[in-house]
Amino acid sequence: MEDQSATLTVDSVSKSFGDFTAVSDLSFEVRAGRIFGFLGPNGAGKTTTIRMIVGITFPDSGKVELFGSNVTPEIQDRIGYLPEERGLYKKMKIQDQLRYFAALKGIGQKEADRRIDYWLDRMKLAEWKKKKTTDLSKGMSQKLQFAATMLHDPDLIILDEPFSGLDPVNVEFMKEVIAEVKSKEKTIIFSTHLMETAEKLCDDILLINKSKKVLAGSLRDIKKSYGRNIVALRCKGGDEHLQKTDLVARVVEHADESEVFLNSLEGGQRLLRRLIDSGAEVTKFEMVEPSLNDIFIDTVNKSA
Amino acid sequence: MKKFLAVLKREYKKVVFKWTFLITTFLMPMIASMFVLVPMLIFSIEGEETRIAIVDRSGNVEKRLRQNLSPEKIAERARQAARESLNDLTAGQNQQLENSSKQLGGQFSFVDYEAGSKHSDEVRHELRRMVADKQIDAFIIIPEDLSAADLKVAFFSRKAGDFIVNSTIEDAINGAVRAQRLANADISEEKLRQINRRVQFETIQLTESGDSKGTDGGPVAAFVVAMLIYIVLAIYGQAIMSAIVEEKETRISEILFSSAKPFELMMGKLVGVGLAGLTQLGIWIASLLAIVSFGAASAYMSDLEIAVPVISPLTVFYFFVFFILGYFIYATIYALIGSMVTSMQEGSQFAFPPIMLLLIGLYFCFAVVRDPNSTFAFWVSIAPFFAPIVMPVRILSELPPFWQIALAVFLNLIAIIGLTWVASRVYRVGMLMYGKRATIPEVWKWIKQV
Repeated sequence: MEDQSATLTVDSVSKSFGDFTAVSDLSFEVRAGRIFGFLGPNGAGKTTTIRMIVGITFPDSGKVELFGSNVTPEIQDRIGYLPEERGLYKKMKIQDQLRYFAALKGIGQKEADRRIDYWLDRMKLAEWKKKKTTDLSKGMSQKLQFAATMLHDPDLIILDEPFSGLDPVNVEFMKEVIAEVKSKEKTIIFSTHLMETAEKLCDDILLINKSKKVLAGSLRDIKKSYGRNIVALRCKGGDEHLQKTDLVARVVEHADESEVFLNSLEGGQRLLRRLIDSGAEVTKFEMVEPSLNDIFIDTVNKSA
Repeated sequence: MKKFLAVLKREYKKVVFKWTFLITTFLMPMIASMFVLVPMLIFSIEGEETRIAIVDRSGNVEKRLRQNLSPEKIAERARQAARESLNDLTAGQNQQLENSSKQLGGQFSFVDYEAGSKHSDEVRHELRRMVADKQIDAFIIIPEDLSAADLKVAFFSRKAGDFIVNSTIEDAINGAVRAQRLANADISEEKLRQINRRVQFETIQLTESGDSKGTDGGPVAAFVVAMLIYIVLAIYGQAIMSAIVEEKETRISEILFSSAKPFELMMGKLVGVGLAGLTQLGIWIASLLAIVSFGAASAYMSDLEIAVPVISPLTVFYFFVFFILGYFIYATIYALIGSMVTSMQEGSQFAFPPIMLLLIGLYFCFAVVRDPNSTFAFWVSIAPFFAPIVMPVRILSELPPFWQIALAVFLNLIAIIGLTWVASRVYRVGMLMYGKRATIPEVWKWIKQV
């Protein structure tokens, strides 16, 4: 699969339940070999959209195209879907459970067993093979679910909140695994409302709010377009300049430094001069890009 | 199809490889055969020989009594009792026990004791000592005057609790005394037997075609079959429901639906669990047939005239056909309920309507057994929901014309297609609805959605 070709095309898709519009006229493309961040607050329509992509539900209008085709059962076999609500049979042995999920994706038992061994080993769950799901901790069943998602070697992997319930060590571990999967030219859709994680992982993002698209594009471009109008500042004194002035829009205090939002991109130099003139002791002054979280909050507020 | 088979395989294994399944499948026939075999075994343990001394003050009874207690007479009496017990299946527990004991009798030997003209207190004293010395086990004292209205014969025994021996002796004494009384009255015993001979009462079932056959224990078999179908349908219906609720509760349905068509998933589940049910029922039916034929064989060997229900291969075939029809009707209803509710507790509340239908069907069977050819029997045995229980019972009671069986199959197939159509629609939507139970109008909307 060449880069830049679209794995997934969502074309003016709408879906409503009774009077409630879950997704309204949504269009976007996901390019092959990239991690696509599907972002939005809870209830924005993320899960509904994903369900239409994996063929669980169907759009009222519009069209979903995967690998250049409608979502047919054959196409479904090329998707690996990790739902937000994890589902595993409680009383089934882990090996049997994975065999079943593999069979449902059309993988024969011999091949399935080979892959089960690989993935259980990769997820550090090998010794649990003959145990039941009820014996696993939450983090472990999360990892098991991820293994189940990957068994049939899907070309498109959809991860709905993959890190929820994981401890920091396991979050790092999973990021590693996801990066490894990406390096095999797989396309990953990563749905979350946690901007920090998305920021570190995603190549492209789509931000939706209240059933509508509000922002889309490559993370790089989006950040660039917002420009460096934030100062990460650590200083003593000069408090009179760190209030809402002609230069400063607002200040957010963190534990050991402040984030100063400027009214214009050029205001940085003037603020620094003012601080020094007023005798403040500046130990850190860095023009930074807005975080995805800032962009998210900003955009959601604007669109509201 | 491949995925359907994958679902089927998992559901089948899930039910069959559970220890509860193994236990119920093999325990039921064992318990059933125990009811047949254990009494046979217990009663076949022969008691020790009972040594009896007879003191006959009348002088006329002893000879006949000894005859009556001879092995040949006892065996004849046993055959008679066996015949009676089979003709009267509704006999109570006591009656059956008595019959069984009569079938066994006991063994006796006689110890001569010369009472002469000793006073009865002295005789008793001496005999008691003989019992204490273990020379004899029991003794009988028969009074002089046999014609006394309140004639009492005393049987003293070291093992008075052995009801088998007691009842044998009692019968033997009665027979001997009666014979002597008749002789005293100048009536020949043979003549009296002729006068007293019971009329043989035979029930003959007339079929539509005018053939006749004996009832052959058919009604009993019919009730057993009705209960069996009822139990299996209720158990497996509930199993379907809990399997569906589990997938909904744990949200596995989301993964399943992204891998296979909901229809494939639902049908795979229904067929898989159904095959598990068939496996169990097959084992039960096979062992039931085995027990019945074992019973028949052992009856044949002890040359008893026993009435074994005649179960033809065709009947067994029909039985499985109607079981499968019933299974799909009730399993789809349970699947429907399972996809509407959010938890097992909620599901159990809604499991009432199908159980009610099953129970009504079971009650209809009583009427059908009594009159398998009534108009009522015809309608309930072809009606959807009831036919799967009622028709097999009717077939066992009396084979209805083929067109009626075919009509019942046809009507129930239509019901199954309709129910499956509705259930698959509700399943498709309901399985992804979390949080609250679906209301009837909501479900109606899901059904109408294409």
